[in-house]
Amino acid sequence: MRAATTSLPEALRPLELLQGKVTPGSLDDQVLRFPAERPPRAWYVALAVTLTALGIGGLCICWTLYYGIGTWGNNRPVAWGFGIINFVFWVGIGHAGTLISAILFLLRARWRNAIARFAEAMTIFAVICAAIFPVLHTGRPWFAYWLFPYPNERALWVNFRSPLIWDVFAVTTYFSVSLIYWYLGLVPDFASLRDRTAEGWRKRIYTVLSLGWRGAASHWVHYDKAYLLLAGLATGLVISVHSVVSFDFAVSLVPGWHMTIFPPYFVAGAIFAGFAMVVMALTVVRKTMNLSNLITDNHLDVMNKLILAMSCIMGYAYVMEGGTAWYSANPYIQHTFLNYVSGFYGWAGITTITCNIIIPQIFWFRRMRRSIPAMIFVALAVTLGMWMERFVIIVISLHQDYLPSSWHKYVPTKIDLGILLGSFGLFFTLVLLFARVLPVIATSEMKASLPAEKEGQP
Amino acid sequence: MSPPRSALVRNLFGAVTLIGAAGSAGVYFSVGRERFWVNWLVWTLFLLTLGLGNLFLVALERLVGAHWSVPMRRVPERIASLIPLAVVLLLVAFFGVPVIFPWTYPEAAHNPILVAKAPWLNLPFFAIRLAVCATVWMLFYAFYVRGSLRQDESKDPAFTVRARRLAPPFMVVLSFSLTILAFDWISGLEPEWYSDMFGVYLFAGSLIAGIAAMVLGVLSLKGRGRLPEVQTKHIYNLGSLGLAFTVFFAYIGFAQYMLIWYANLPEEVIWFKHRIEGAWQPVALALPLLHFFIPFFLLIGSVGKKHPAPLRLAAISILLGHFVDLYWLIFPTLGPKPLFGWPELAMACFFLGLGSLQIRRAMGHGADMPVGDPLLAQGLEWQL
Amino acid sequence: MSSATFAVLGLFSDAHKIVDAANQIRPRKLGRLEAYTPYPVHGLDRAIGLAPSRLGRLVMFMGVIGACLALLFEGWVSAVDYPLVTGGKALFSWQAFVPVMFEVTVLFATFTAGLAMLFAFNKLPFFGHPVLHSQAIKGITRDKLALSIEASSAAFDAEAARQALIDNGAESVEIVPVPAWDRPLSLVGLLRTIAGIVAACVVAGAGLFAAEKLIPIVPPMIHMHNQPKLNAFHESAFFVDGRGMRPAVAGTVARGHLPPAFATPEEAGTLLSNPLPLTQSIAERGRRVFNDHCAICHGLVGNGVPLLSHAYGGKPGNFLSNEIRARPDGHYFGVLMLGKNAMPSYAADLDHDDRWAAVHYIRILQRAQNAKDEDLR
Repeated sequence: MRAATTSLPEALRPLELLQGKVTPGSLDDQVLRFPAERPPRAWYVALAVTLTALGIGGLCICWTLYYGIGTWGNNRPVAWGFGIINFVFWVGIGHAGTLISAILFLLRARWRNAIARFAEAMTIFAVICAAIFPVLHTGRPWFAYWLFPYPNERALWVNFRSPLIWDVFAVTTYFSVSLIYWYLGLVPDFASLRDRTAEGWRKRIYTVLSLGWRGAASHWVHYDKAYLLLAGLATGLVISVHSVVSFDFAVSLVPGWHMTIFPPYFVAGAIFAGFAMVVMALTVVRKTMNLSNLITDNHLDVMNKLILAMSCIMGYAYVMEGGTAWYSANPYIQHTFLNYVSGFYGWAGITTITCNIIIPQIFWFRRMRRSIPAMIFVALAVTLGMWMERFVIIVISLHQDYLPSSWHKYVPTKIDLGILLGSFGLFFTLVLLFARVLPVIATSEMKASLPAEKEGQP
Repeated sequence: MSPPRSALVRNLFGAVTLIGAAGSAGVYFSVGRERFWVNWLVWTLFLLTLGLGNLFLVALERLVGAHWSVPMRRVPERIASLIPLAVVLLLVAFFGVPVIFPWTYPEAAHNPILVAKAPWLNLPFFAIRLAVCATVWMLFYAFYVRGSLRQDESKDPAFTVRARRLAPPFMVVLSFSLTILAFDWISGLEPEWYSDMFGVYLFAGSLIAGIAAMVLGVLSLKGRGRLPEVQTKHIYNLGSLGLAFTVFFAYIGFAQYMLIWYANLPEEVIWFKHRIEGAWQPVALALPLLHFFIPFFLLIGSVGKKHPAPLRLAAISILLGHFVDLYWLIFPTLGPKPLFGWPELAMACFFLGLGSLQIRRAMGHGADMPVGDPLLAQGLEWQL
Repeated sequence: MSSATFAVLGLFSDAHKIVDAANQIRPRKLGRLEAYTPYPVHGLDRAIGLAPSRLGRLVMFMGVIGACLALLFEGWVSAVDYPLVTGGKALFSWQAFVPVMFEVTVLFATFTAGLAMLFAFNKLPFFGHPVLHSQAIKGITRDKLALSIEASSAAFDAEAARQALIDNGAESVEIVPVPAWDRPLSLVGLLRTIAGIVAACVVAGAGLFAAEKLIPIVPPMIHMHNQPKLNAFHESAFFVDGRGMRPAVAGTVARGHLPPAFATPEEAGTLLSNPLPLTQSIAERGRRVFNDHCAICHGLVGNGVPLLSHAYGGKPGNFLSNEIRARPDGHYFGVLMLGKNAMPSYAADLDHDDRWAAVHYIRILQRAQNAKDEDLR
């Protein structure tokens, strides 16, 4: 009945997604033991490092709150500096998680099962890191609730025509939806944890969080439907969120910003940056938590292929941007694009192109896709390149636009850099805590695909 | 199909084509060269984008290593046979370029914007781009489609391995060549306008039109009992893909429109003003209706994706929408009123007849399923 | 411990076996079939007779509601309640409303999918289900697949169910009793819960109230209260003389008070003529100005008899005299602007229109006191 896959040439056989014998029981033992065990020393060392970074960031945030946005490097005309760069960067990183968990679920790509939980968690943490920046950059963040349309004593409403309000709705929705999606996926795993744990405060917490889940088939029917619907909705959402972020720039008249390709270009860039972060984190996680039999080299291979694909899409977008800038015969746009690669900040544009387009091309070679040092190098390059790309778009376009008398350079302050460092610290602190407390792999999803794995189903 | 009926259908298509050819000649000599070439361009692009969209689907399956679409893959391979036909028609359209493209007119030398664009918008470079695109399309068509047909006999899995390896470069080549097609042949009609999303827009339109054509092909074959092993689960996936790309096209189209509306720059807005105001407004309203709302609400429920009737309706709506899209993109060059009369009908007969004959010819080659493909068995047993 | 059986569970390890078992057992109608598995097993829902989920329809409905609500709200806010033209866009700029509409649609649909699935369809959270307190639950959430035949009537035959499960390949069977509720929902428990909720609300409310009162008055929130800017009538350390309000620079000219272009009233008489037309309103304005400013010295009819006593020693001009009547309008204007003898300049008191209206009124007074017979006809 089942097709014989062994007669196929090796290149056409379905990916081996498990190494060695994996049963549902062994899966539980391997993945669910971490919440119960003490973590190794390396975890504490890593946490110390990330907490230090977080602390520095926290201090800089307090400094900003006390003394105001003047402590940042923003000026006129570069009124958007590190604040927005970091916001777009972190929101982008979150997109890979939703792509892996939602879009790849819709596409029935089974290799996503081992990495979906981790990726979704990264999405939520990335959105938390991202949300800090728009809230802080308002200057008086204690009034941040003014961004929401509630009836107030000033008889004022928000300006629904502004992309900044679209952002408020988009990021809020993205965070809520990701949280719900992540939590729903966790419910069966909490049930597993509940039933593995001896009586005590831990078991009570798991019991509450599992909502009394018992794996009833009548429940799975609705659960599966909800999961499928959420995957579809999250797919639409993830594309819309970064498109709305791109609208922040594209609806304006700033040269270099008003390019119609921005929405899909930003979405592709977000997925690109996010995958790099996921690959980087997973190489570390699978080594330190001994999960290489579940997160195999094949998983990393496929993710690196996706990174390569995104890099090619980004290349297309860069060519289109530059080409259309020339084609437009608009001297302001042309001046801006020349500024991207030459001029005072030209090094940023060159870095962007090198890191985003040139370096990932090594992934055309299978050996590079399966080499841990190579993929960490590429992932770091892509992370740097994508951050630099936002820097290029925001700072270079703003610092020299239409009126030469307004031109002014932008230099970030130590506070800017400190908050950026702190956001990385926050992100990795949350990742470390997540790995300590919650199951890193969605065991219930993995178990569902084990029978098919055994039979070599595509 | 019994031989007499097959001959009757072929003769019918042939007759329609001949009538259309006569009518088209009439259009050229009596109505005007501009109208003739504009019609020629719209239909050529319609056939070409249908063909390229289907070739993309064939390559996409290789790129992602999908199995579920293998049993149905012969349908897009056959529809991709429109590519050689459309390439010939496009080469003929080159003779119409000096008639309908303003940057070829002598006044263009006095327009500073067009002078600045002259390194790109000049006939020799245009011809080179056309030749390069035509060549790569033909080469990849030959590789993928003829190779698949040959595999029916040879049953050699090495072709599938090669096809997978060539898929990524093909995607790169297709994205750039479709972009050149869009910029050169469509946005070049109003050469002062620019939008860097335009290549993506045409790509999205070709893709969804390709899927719609594939859906109609699969359902038609299944209805005649020629694809008995293709089951509801395969059709469901195809419907889901159709829904996804319907939404994708609407997203691209809306993003382009909204950004240009928002910034309200005169040099960008003029292109939309020509297409959504006055007499063009009904066409501009029909476009999102046919291309998004109807197929979206038909395909959003799981019912719509499984049953032939709503799927067929959605596919027809999309194909109509794709034609209206190309019409809406190109015809405003003829004036502020949308022209539709016997010239359009005559040339429609000609091109549709030619296209139908070409696809019929392709249907005579090879089995209805790619029987030589090593992944066929897995594709048939694939579970949702 | 109650003796009633809730269900008989048969544990399997293989997904195919449990589906086959369910297909075999279902026609025998031994009881209500349910299954408990660590992951959704393909085909099992159909084997035990479950209908497909209706969640999709509800989600789509709520999504459409979200879309309509969002669009209507945005439109009402932007075009009806506080219409503001921003960016030159139309009030109901639907193009700009689409992104938020999309997000709200997804928000409504997602919350419906997640919350309705849990609360409405699956009736979770629920911690009292008998299977949760069985032995088998540890296996169920780990790697065992359990087929459950539940007692749906008093005629439930637990032994037959047990046998059927074993016959169809169950590795082990467990009988799950109905848990005994010896303490129904107690009043004390209910009161404690309500008290807890009320206490939480009070604490939260008090905390929010305190925060709302406190936050605006601590730094950095008050930093914008003490801004380094000039406030009216305050001193300023920025200027040497310490004054916040600065006097006008010498030579400053107020609007409407350009210095006159003539040196003497005679010169004004030759240069200027009355620019205002003689209308009812201007005549009345002139009367008001004259009565307020001029009549004190020149008298209410302009005859030079002041309303005040002669104490200050001035001799105001008699407008009704022939000599003054003969002078041109510009001369009157010049005297008004430059002053004459004891009369100060009225340039600062009256603006341009007031001055010329007064001149009109003086002419009216002169005419009134020198009326001719023709005026009465």
